[in-house]
Amino acid sequence: MTETARGHIDKTSLEPDLEALLAGDEKAFELLVAQESPRLFRIIHRILGDEEESKNILQETFLQAFQRMHTFRRESKFTTWLYAIGINLARGSLRKSKRMTSLDDADVERLQPSFSKGMFVESPQSWDPLKLAERTDRHKFLHQAIDKLPEDYKAIVILRDIEEHSTEEVAKMLNITGGAVRVRLHRARVALRTMLNTHFQYQSQSSK
Amino acid sequence: MKALIMAKTLLGMAPNCKKVTSFLAEYVEGTLPEKLRQQFDQHIGMCKCCGPYFEQYRATIGMIKEGKEVAIPSELVEHTMSFLRKNADFKH
Repeated sequence: MTETARGHIDKTSLEPDLEALLAGDEKAFELLVAQESPRLFRIIHRILGDEEESKNILQETFLQAFQRMHTFRRESKFTTWLYAIGINLARGSLRKSKRMTSLDDADVERLQPSFSKGMFVESPQSWDPLKLAERTDRHKFLHQAIDKLPEDYKAIVILRDIEEHSTEEVAKMLNITGGAVRVRLHRARVALRTMLNTHFQYQSQSSK
Repeated sequence: MKALIMAKTLLGMAPNCKKVTSFLAEYVEGTLPEKLRQQFDQHIGMCKCCGPYFEQYRATIGMIKEGKEVAIPSELVEHTMSFLRKNADFKH
């Protein structure tokens, strides 16, 4: 298994030895933990934003996988099934800790563009290339904005756009349809564009 | 040419801005059917709203993809395995 500079696992990575895992073999689990921990930890951490809690959720994910191996139906990749356990636990932890995201579906709706007779109500203003070049500022703003998205939109942005899983894999991980993944991803990107747009316009005005 | 496209849009024979913006994700993924892709390209090329909007949508995806660095704790595997050795009934 190889990792790219950005830490993404090469698609040619080996599938785990299912028979050995089903038999409860410690070495097989050790290999699984070594192979999948970094990427799964990143996803959990992106959802929770807390290192210690992410480590705890990772442990619990592998324990649940061990205890529920017999329920794996081989209808998806094993890693998709494993990640679904981790994502569910992370989302459950987020809800319990009340570190909830701050936007709801109605807010996402308000962040979509408005049209009149099929035309934009407001013409989009070009973004200032100088503001775009200030990577640290926009990077921080954008990731705070992602954190504020409703939980399912946030998970989809993390899994599709940052971790680059396929629509079908994300649908299985979140137990929703591929169509729902596509629609929510698009709406989330549009909402983030609107938030960035407001941020850039505000910056331009305040620097005048 | 622009006038012809505009006339087709107004007559409902070509997609308007609302329709075009609903195609953005498919366009970026390259899954838009050929005929729609051509109509999309024509509209984006001439529309003073959709052109910049599309560039901003694409730039937003690029910025999202820059990701947020997550440091992987060095002891992560051992931390997880020691928990599993205590709590999972491994077969040796």
